[in-house]
Amino acid sequence: MKALARSLTPASWPLLAAFAFLVAFVLLPLGSVLVGTFQGPDGFTLEAWTALAADRAALRQMWASLQVGLAATAVSLLLGGLHAWVTTGRDLPGGGWLGPLGVAPLVVPPIFVAMGLADVVDAAGFWPCALLLGIAHAPFVAVLTARGLRSVDGRAYEAAWLLRGRARAELWLVRAIAPELLAGCLLAFLFALADYGVPEFLTVKGKTWLTYAEGLLARWNRRTVGTTFAELQSPITAALPFLVALGCLLWLALRLRGNAPDRGVARPLPVRPLGAWRWPLLAVPLVYLGFGIGLPVFVLGRWVLGSAQRLEPMSLEFAQQSWAKAMDQGLTPLLNSVALAIGTAVFVVLLALPLARGAARRWPLLELLCALPAAIPAILLGIALVQSFHDSALLRAFGGDFYAGWGFAVCGYAARLLPFAALTLSAQVRRQPLAAEEAGLLVQRSATARALRLHLPPLLPAAWTAGVLVFVLALRELDLAVVLPAANATAVRRLSNSVHFQHEDWCGVIALLVLGIAVLLPLLPSLLAGRRLQSLS
Amino acid sequence: MRCRTPLLLSLLAACGADALEPAARPTIYVALDQQFSEPLLNRFAQELQIDLVQRHDSEAAKTVGLVSALLEERGNPRCTVFWNNELAHTVRLAQAGLLEPYDSPVARDVPAAWRDPLQRWTGFAARARILVVNTELLPDPKTWPTSYADLVDPKWKGRCGVAKPKTGTTLTHFTALRQLLGDEAFTRFLDGLFTNEVKLLAGNGASLREVRDGKLAWAFTDTDDYHVAKSKGFPVACVFPDQHDGGVGTMLIPNSVALIKGGPNQAAGKQLIDKILARETEALLAAAEGAQIPLREGVKGPDDPAILPAGTFRAMQWDVEWTAANLSRCLIEWEQRFGS
Repeated sequence: MKALARSLTPASWPLLAAFAFLVAFVLLPLGSVLVGTFQGPDGFTLEAWTALAADRAALRQMWASLQVGLAATAVSLLLGGLHAWVTTGRDLPGGGWLGPLGVAPLVVPPIFVAMGLADVVDAAGFWPCALLLGIAHAPFVAVLTARGLRSVDGRAYEAAWLLRGRARAELWLVRAIAPELLAGCLLAFLFALADYGVPEFLTVKGKTWLTYAEGLLARWNRRTVGTTFAELQSPITAALPFLVALGCLLWLALRLRGNAPDRGVARPLPVRPLGAWRWPLLAVPLVYLGFGIGLPVFVLGRWVLGSAQRLEPMSLEFAQQSWAKAMDQGLTPLLNSVALAIGTAVFVVLLALPLARGAARRWPLLELLCALPAAIPAILLGIALVQSFHDSALLRAFGGDFYAGWGFAVCGYAARLLPFAALTLSAQVRRQPLAAEEAGLLVQRSATARALRLHLPPLLPAAWTAGVLVFVLALRELDLAVVLPAANATAVRRLSNSVHFQHEDWCGVIALLVLGIAVLLPLLPSLLAGRRLQSLS
Repeated sequence: MRCRTPLLLSLLAACGADALEPAARPTIYVALDQQFSEPLLNRFAQELQIDLVQRHDSEAAKTVGLVSALLEERGNPRCTVFWNNELAHTVRLAQAGLLEPYDSPVARDVPAAWRDPLQRWTGFAARARILVVNTELLPDPKTWPTSYADLVDPKWKGRCGVAKPKTGTTLTHFTALRQLLGDEAFTRFLDGLFTNEVKLLAGNGASLREVRDGKLAWAFTDTDDYHVAKSKGFPVACVFPDQHDGGVGTMLIPNSVALIKGGPNQAAGKQLIDKILARETEALLAAAEGAQIPLREGVKGPDDPAILPAGTFRAMQWDVEWTAANLSRCLIEWEQRFGS
């Protein structure tokens, strides 16, 4: 105990606080819903689990999810991988701008892409679904592929080129970045599996497949009319195997990513000329970005101009009316969304900094723990958070209703989005030379001073990147917005309703504003300081 | 560690400081479209001088998100009043023991069919389940479909649609229809949907879109969806189905309001229910874009003459208690049939 007490220096408080958050908002809620599946009205029971074992639909849904996930990942690999391949270290016309834009589709909720496609073509069925999910999650592949390409030592590539020729050198390069490429594919696969909005939106007559995430939503809906203990527990029991499977994939992705050698780039890759393919290959980023962001923006713009009504032709006057309605109906939710996203981003970065250092330097398992929420279906996390916090007399005793306030929304969002910041920052910590930190230990400075002057400054750029990523993802978060009381008043929840109720006009304005705000923050450093765009780095 | 835990909890509690003294604030959960319900509720709150917390549903959850929240929170109810845009799930909540009886004095002229004998819920301002027709594809009203049975008429093979009966008003509608037709006839009807290549869609909104955009000749939907499309200039008309002698009639699905057992500030909740159930509110909802049909006589209905006033057409006689009690059984069965 004395050793433990000695190790609890003020410098370890941030890590302890962040870990306590992880326990309070991820592990305990999950544990409590798991325990709940064994606690029937008459005590211990396996009824909920035996019901799941007898539910053949769950297996069918898992198989369907696997198919959709694999097809979507293939699309992500094709579009995201090729995008990074032709824009990183190449002489593609406009590659300097197009490359960083590869991350842009991440700011567009997949359901917007689906609505955009459905607005212009009759899209339905398996392949449109796989295509849309693939496009929506291709940024993961693009970003990690670009990261891999940037970390390859140019001298090794040149040596391979001289010894074996260009084609062989390119193959060597693919092998060199394979861990990052695979990690990107696994992340894309994981997110494609967890999406229920797109498969549901593209439902067709006589559909013979239903994804697992859709099945979870269906069980969640069924819960409201459920009459037996097994029915009430079914969304939880069905989600937990899903969580375990996704957790294993996540662990694999992290292992691959962690094993990717940080080669300490002495010299970046030389610019590899595309030759005669220079102009034709421009089609790759254009098609990718066209589907990923151009098409949704085009369709939203048409809505604003009045394409979703027949009373008058599309016009700027109509757009002005749309704007006025949007300000009346959607401005407050939009401001709520921005405030919630900023609060979440700041909070998540503060949590992720100590966790990332702890994971990268001392406890590798902590990284998996931080990444776990990425594998949790949002519905399960929502149910777990509500069950754990709605009736916390302990919290109420401190004078406020935490559950109903924005604080709970920020914490819920933070729990869901923590993996993105923690993983970004832990990668950055690993890149920092240990020698500098060891040298710091020799200097007679306090732990706090070392943290502030030595550890923190090299992490600031990555912290900014992580914060921006969390901000963007918080802006587009729908699942938790539906479940957490305060987050109910956000723009994305209003948008999801407005489209159903045929309010495309003002809904288009708000959606474009959401996208604009999401893009603006990453661009701020470039706009203010004239820094070159490097969001794929 | 013992001394730090209260500090952490204090910080967490302080994050919720905007919601101090929640017990004193009546809270309403609303499933009706926020665009229509929010201004009304703001007005009521001002008139009653109460600090009303509003929580609105998401269509992504197909009207059951708030019902789910009510079930999760049953140990410590957060909601005072539940305003549902349909009835069956409210009745389910009543059957689950979550509702507090309240006999609103302003609702005594609501027809008895739409009031709970135990006073746990009251219906008002209904939507009708209608057939929406594309008038460019079917310009002659004589050729329009007239019954739910037209879905399985080979004449309309591949040209009509309905939402999958897994959520929303379609689930309620099909469950009630099952009771009216009996299991055997209803199973034949379901088989017919597949044989006749009826387009089974994600929801009523999607069904309406298919018709208004000319991809389908007609589909089942609700009057509010039809009316919004009509007011936006789309070539659509509505048919109240099954009006012939011996027909099952057109289904009316009213909004419903209920007091939640143990919810905060029940007194303010009762006042709020009185406001919501006022005749004036029904008239306002009828005049709004959603064109809800007043249940009471003498309340002005929607301006659109195609939306018939209650009492002037053959209404489906459905058993709300049976329907609510059997939603689960039907849903499980239809998920197998329609979902996978």
